[in-house]
Amino acid sequence: MLVGVDWAGVAQQVVAGLSSGGTYATLAVALVLIYRATGVVNFAQGELAMFSTFVAWTLTRHGFAYWPAFLVTVLASFAGGIALERAVIRPVERASVLTIAIVTIGLFFIVNGAAFWIWSPEVKSMPNAFSTRPIRIGGVAFAISDLGIIGVSLLAVLLLWLFFRFTKLGLAMRAAALNPESSRLTGIRVSWTIALGWGLATALGAVAGLMAAPPLGSFDQNFMQPILLYAFAGAVLGGIDSALGAVIGSLALGVFLNLLGTYVSWVGTDLRQAAALAVILGVLLVRPAGLFGKLAVRRV
Amino acid sequence: MNRVLRIAGGVAFAAAAVALVLVLPHWLSDAKAAEFARAGCFFIAIIGLNLVTGYTGQISLGHGALMAVGAYTTAILTADHGLRDLWTIPLAGLVAMAAGFALGLPARRLSGLYLALATFAFAVAMPALLKRFSGLTGGSQGINLFDEALSRSTGALGHVHLAGWTLATNDFLYYLTWGIGLVLSGAAWLLVRGRLGRAFRAVRDSEVAAASSGINISFYKTLAFAISGFYAGVGGSLFVLVSNWFVSPSTFTFDKSLLLVVGAVVGGLGSLAGMALGALFIQFVPTWAANLSSAPGAPSVFFGTAIVLVMILLPGGLGGFLLKLTEPLTRRLYTRSE
Amino acid sequence: MRAMGKSRVLFGVFGALVVVSAASAGGASTPGVTSKQILIGGTTPLSGPASAYAAVAKGADAYFKYVNDHGGVFGRSIKYKYEDDAYDPSQTIQRTRDLVQNEKVFAIYNTLGTEQNLAVRSYLNQLKVPQLLVASGASTWGNDFKKYPWTIGYQPSYKGEATIYGRYIAKTRPNARIGVLYQNDDYGKELVAGLQRGLGQKAKLIVSKQGYDVTDTDVKSQIARLKSKKANTLMVFATPKFAIQSYSSARLLGWRPLVFVNAVSSASNTMTIAALASSKRQTEGSISIAFNKDPVNPRWKGDKAVTLFRTILKKYNGGQGLTDVYNVYGMSSAFTLVDALKHAGKNPTRASVMRAVTHLDERNNPFVLPGIVIRTTPTDHFPIAQARLERYHNGNWVYFGSIVHIG
Repeated sequence: MLVGVDWAGVAQQVVAGLSSGGTYATLAVALVLIYRATGVVNFAQGELAMFSTFVAWTLTRHGFAYWPAFLVTVLASFAGGIALERAVIRPVERASVLTIAIVTIGLFFIVNGAAFWIWSPEVKSMPNAFSTRPIRIGGVAFAISDLGIIGVSLLAVLLLWLFFRFTKLGLAMRAAALNPESSRLTGIRVSWTIALGWGLATALGAVAGLMAAPPLGSFDQNFMQPILLYAFAGAVLGGIDSALGAVIGSLALGVFLNLLGTYVSWVGTDLRQAAALAVILGVLLVRPAGLFGKLAVRRV
Repeated sequence: MNRVLRIAGGVAFAAAAVALVLVLPHWLSDAKAAEFARAGCFFIAIIGLNLVTGYTGQISLGHGALMAVGAYTTAILTADHGLRDLWTIPLAGLVAMAAGFALGLPARRLSGLYLALATFAFAVAMPALLKRFSGLTGGSQGINLFDEALSRSTGALGHVHLAGWTLATNDFLYYLTWGIGLVLSGAAWLLVRGRLGRAFRAVRDSEVAAASSGINISFYKTLAFAISGFYAGVGGSLFVLVSNWFVSPSTFTFDKSLLLVVGAVVGGLGSLAGMALGALFIQFVPTWAANLSSAPGAPSVFFGTAIVLVMILLPGGLGGFLLKLTEPLTRRLYTRSE
Repeated sequence: MRAMGKSRVLFGVFGALVVVSAASAGGASTPGVTSKQILIGGTTPLSGPASAYAAVAKGADAYFKYVNDHGGVFGRSIKYKYEDDAYDPSQTIQRTRDLVQNEKVFAIYNTLGTEQNLAVRSYLNQLKVPQLLVASGASTWGNDFKKYPWTIGYQPSYKGEATIYGRYIAKTRPNARIGVLYQNDDYGKELVAGLQRGLGQKAKLIVSKQGYDVTDTDVKSQIARLKSKKANTLMVFATPKFAIQSYSSARLLGWRPLVFVNAVSSASNTMTIAALASSKRQTEGSISIAFNKDPVNPRWKGDKAVTLFRTILKKYNGGQGLTDVYNVYGMSSAFTLVDALKHAGKNPTRASVMRAVTHLDERNNPFVLPGIVIRTTPTDHFPIAQARLERYHNGNWVYFGSIVHIG
């Protein structure tokens, strides 16, 4: 039955899927981070990453090399994230999760619009962080940059794990997100741990944007929207509170999309997105908290 | 005494709402009436969304897609099956109700963000599905009833004569959407006041407590989605009429679903007047923002800022604010018997 | 059964109450035209996913302001009111209705997008409001003029463009194995249909067609699939972002097909980025068509029209969009509208402007390539039906062959 299958073709599709999934992975980790730190999904996460990418692009236009621009942008994004939290999230800190989510939708519009206002709408290109020289193994082609991107997202997972597991601050942030009231009583300044969460997530978003933009060849003010869509799906598939799950979920999603689109003729490329989402839904029905998530134990 | 007063208050409020809806077109130009009619479609969909999100506590990012189901039901039945557009409105509601039921099925197992993803998937996939089954839906060209079924599209050609009255098309559409909107909001009000509403709220406040007091959580969640689907479907059906009897996939991208959630929360979940204000917000604020500046991107900045400001200044939404304004009055009317 | 009968009766009563009257014909005086001004309107995305196309309206608006400062048309200035529809057809309808009924514009002009224009076409024709120089390459604007006499397009149709590629391949590359990447909507599908028409008997040269959706992040999978079908000719019927990715993904796979890239994505700026994202070798030899002057192409260095283009943008658009070919498109469209208004008589009416735009014979539009004549007749409603083939060589587009007709 499997005679005549073009295995090199399948392998190429899998590799291409992993490389696409890699561009979702870091943003997915950023979503997990902010969810764990604040209990909210940030709809503006992708747009903030886009804005950071434009900042870095502007720096490279003014003589910065890629890595210095990268460093400056990530630090600036960290500060920007905290400032943003102070300005717009702080006032609604104690409101419902839904209210905060709507504020992030408002932020989505603001950041996207501001980027169109500031920068011209033509597509732009960003120098590559890693070599894009093709490497071929057994008829399957990939680039060092693909490995680099996945590597960076895994590094982010490791750092976050170390941070949350072994530092006092990380522990405080987890506590604050889990139970703000009790945390306040134990002397944790919950408001500031949330701000810190925003700073970290925005900085990580900047990394995501700067990793995603070069291999896509070009970017514009909307380039993060489809990526956010898949990052959200990947993060939920992995389990929204698991950073490693977010990476694995994103990679799996990339591969899913390609295999469904290429080899299931009824699905084709026009329905592959719908089909991939349906598959995720199926997985969730079996594992309601995602692949690696923990089911929240509710206190009654 | 208290009860009588409360009912009287409710009746007075309803009467005021009806009166306002009735007289408003006097001050509106024809095109403005059409814009209000479009807001009326959002109003109906938001009432539905409120049943799911406000009362049952389930987040739905898929109500724009449910509107699409209603819209296409009306378009297909009118264009291909010879029905008059107005008759398809309840049918569109029923088809979308079935879709809402299906959308509510995952709610039996999923909650919170995971459920949000299920509804989100539905919304994101909708335009692709509409394009894929182009034999039925007209593909990305959409369906144009203005041409194809002119004789069955009420008002498309000009004025509407209704029981001896002659109405401009857009005034007719305005009365149609807000009339249906008022009736359906009355129905929703009765619904949530009764047993059903209590069950919904119990599910929202604590699933565990609701389950231990014998409430079938899955059943009520799915039911909420189904009823909500009916509302969104009717809103979508009317949306076709209001949009010059034209419907196409890019009208129902994910943004519409997001916009409905924004409308519901900005308006203030739970308050009928608030939902009307929320509908007016998502209809008129983007236009207002676009008139402020024609620099690309500037309208988005203003619209986003308006959303953030409302949420910061009025955490209970516009409806909550309204409630606060009228509180002194109601407090005087309802004397607490404690 | 019985219940159904009952409800049908109920519906019948309701239906009988609602009777539709026929539309009354337009008024006597011409709306939007005063002794000082001609008011036209249209929609364009200033927010949302397609904001990049706002340049089309901006370029046109800047040109009208320039014309107004130089005497206008028969002493009247042209006021162009473009409103934001966020690329959502249901908003196009609202804004257009506002322009027609509240603002009382003389005509709708330059509204952007295929679905967006389809959404208002019936309405405008019903009211006999001209829908002028539609900014979309769908062929229906030119083809269906009998049904919609108040509507006319402007740019070459996508279908016609791809027909030219098809004919060229059939003639010059009889052994081509063609792989097609197309956007999964009307725009992409029209290009595919045009390619097949142009290939005619040789349509079987197409070995694979792969679609992508605008919400996709990349086209790596599609390109890998096309390569695995052993195609040696790649048709890129995609917007700039995805066209650039086609080059970079093909390069990664070590695949160097001959690339035909559609005019939507062949601006010099886009190609420069494509070469950066892939390699100079990868973009070398690509083929496209052009009808507007590309302000970045060194071929037009010192050209009078391109100099004028820059001057106008500096003066009336805050100096924005100097390298953007969409602005050039907007200006060439505005030039044609001014030309039509001049031919519509001293006291233009909606009917006279329609007569003028269907009798164009414009040989002096400076923003289109030399030799292209913008011509329409009562039976030919395709204003720009000519273009030139161009080949990408050493980082620049070089025109080749004579002017081709796009039918």
